[in-house]
Amino acid sequence: MKRILLWSIQFLAAFFSILLLSGAPVLITGFQQGKLLWNEYIETIKLHVTSLMNLRELSVDYYVGRGEMRQVPVFPQLLENITYSLQLLFLALVTAVVFALIGTFITMLLREKARARVKLFFYFLESLPDILIILLAQLFVVIIFQQTGILVSKIAVIGDDRIYWLPVLCLMILPMIQLYRLSMLTFEAEERTMYVELAKSLGFGKAFILFMHIFRNAIVSVFFQSKKTMWFMLSNLFILELMFNIPGVMLYMFENLSGTLFLVTIMSFFLPIFILYSLGEWYFIHRLKRGGVVG
Amino acid sequence: MKSVWRQPLFLLGFGIISFFLVGSFVYEWIFGNVPKQTFFIEENGRAVEGPPISPKWMHPLGTDQFGYDMFGKIMIGAKYTILAAMAVAALRMLIAIPLGFALGTYLQRQRSWINGLIDPIHYVPMTIFAVILLTPVLWMPQEGFSTTLTERLVIQVVIMAIMTVPIVAALIGNETNLLYHQEYILAARTLGASRRRLIIRHLFPQMREKMLVLYGQQVVESLIVFAHLGMLQLFLGGTDVDYDPMFADPPRSISYEWAGLFGNSFRYLQGAPWLPLGPAISFALVILAIAAMIEGYTRATNGQVTLPKRKRMAFVSEETVDWNQQQLREKMILLQKEARR
Repeated sequence: MKRILLWSIQFLAAFFSILLLSGAPVLITGFQQGKLLWNEYIETIKLHVTSLMNLRELSVDYYVGRGEMRQVPVFPQLLENITYSLQLLFLALVTAVVFALIGTFITMLLREKARARVKLFFYFLESLPDILIILLAQLFVVIIFQQTGILVSKIAVIGDDRIYWLPVLCLMILPMIQLYRLSMLTFEAEERTMYVELAKSLGFGKAFILFMHIFRNAIVSVFFQSKKTMWFMLSNLFILELMFNIPGVMLYMFENLSGTLFLVTIMSFFLPIFILYSLGEWYFIHRLKRGGVVG
Repeated sequence: MKSVWRQPLFLLGFGIISFFLVGSFVYEWIFGNVPKQTFFIEENGRAVEGPPISPKWMHPLGTDQFGYDMFGKIMIGAKYTILAAMAVAALRMLIAIPLGFALGTYLQRQRSWINGLIDPIHYVPMTIFAVILLTPVLWMPQEGFSTTLTERLVIQVVIMAIMTVPIVAALIGNETNLLYHQEYILAARTLGASRRRLIIRHLFPQMREKMLVLYGQQVVESLIVFAHLGMLQLFLGGTDVDYDPMFADPPRSISYEWAGLFGNSFRYLQGAPWLPLGPAISFALVILAIAAMIEGYTRATNGQVTLPKRKRMAFVSEETVDWNQQQLREKMILLQKEARR
């Protein structure tokens, strides 16, 4: 019961901070004119709250052409966009986690010297900007198409069709490397602990210790540190939607830039991720406590 | 301490960054601030290629659709982008370090709920946040800018710096708090060191390396946000928008900074891939250079801490020192007993 209360307080605090942020542009506009627009700021936030209350009636201006404007309701169109974005995000997340863990296993089985080289290589790979990766991926597809006439994947979304694997691939590469480096660090720290030495001296194989002992303990701390990767992925998703012209929620928000939509967009990511992390935290702490250790 | 100047990785990174920075100023000094323009390439008296011209000896990175040399554009723009990113990171660290130390020492009790308030910022993607905050500043309104270029630059740098101050401050705060519970800090506290002194003499020297690494990471982060903003047509120092309803020029960047170069050209990927690739690769090179510098620096300083030079204190007699040591010993014993109970 106490946990649920704490959870809701956390949730409300998060919602509140995001709400405060959504009104910030007004303050900046005022700052440019040398004024402090406190009242306008509060008004904007009130406006955002009321428009969130009757979300169904939320609408955006839509240019029909020749300067004509029409009010188009946001829902249910936005729901489709949100699902598409979330699908991409979570597909990329799952593949990133899987590949990062497989990569960690393989590297952990290597000898020290080879391991150091692999780690340095990934360190530099990690610092590639996402825009370059997306550009190279698109260029690669174009070149393959020009050379062989085979279209591996579409490089932009036109109309109603949906593309999955190329955007997911582009979105997962950098988080995968980040997660890989993170899990390498925790795995190596775990490898130096006493119980691993004991297991070694008892004659268990390297792969067995890695999977049965190190993995189980290290995964907890990898999970708790992965929040930053998630944050990074959200920024990447934004750029990805733009460069692939993907009709996701971020592109929608960018095309109709407004404080309310900003709020809706952030909330649509915040809700699933927050629930995911809360569940994960609850599960891991639960498991830790059952083992007799108080987390 | 091994010198960072003996680390090949550090030198490599430093070399690349100084190539871009020094090269940028030298290029502008020699060729002026407008890159060379070529209208077509002739072979045997016939024009064989018009702009955008693909990469050749004369134009190592090709030219843009108006015939301006891409290499020249990149060189001229380098200083704006790199210096702005460094300024953003520096300002961010300057604000975040005192806040972080305060959070880790003076505000220990309040730390948990402050962290709770900061945490949701992790759900707001940096780029979106930057777009929302910077659009009123950088996008030229119909009646023209009300601010000057320098003003806009300063406002952009300040906003981008402040944007993630809470996160960096929380990071430093957590790190400080970890150190704060170490034994040597406990010893200093029993001797009556004030928190201010603890920060200056013990915590800061211990954290200096980590903070330099953090600075490097912040520079990288700002560079990436610049690139993202460029894609969204929000350029460093403002976007010049042409509101002509019939023959509007595409939004222009005011200088040749890289965000603008990239943002204006990524649509040409299929026809003229060298246009977006040039600035994108330059971004990647600078980021790699910073990563190499960070790696070299950590290798050079691994585990070593340099203390600030001891200030010459007023004469302290041997007796005082002895007395101090004795006090420390007694108090440590007391503490130990307490811990045992």
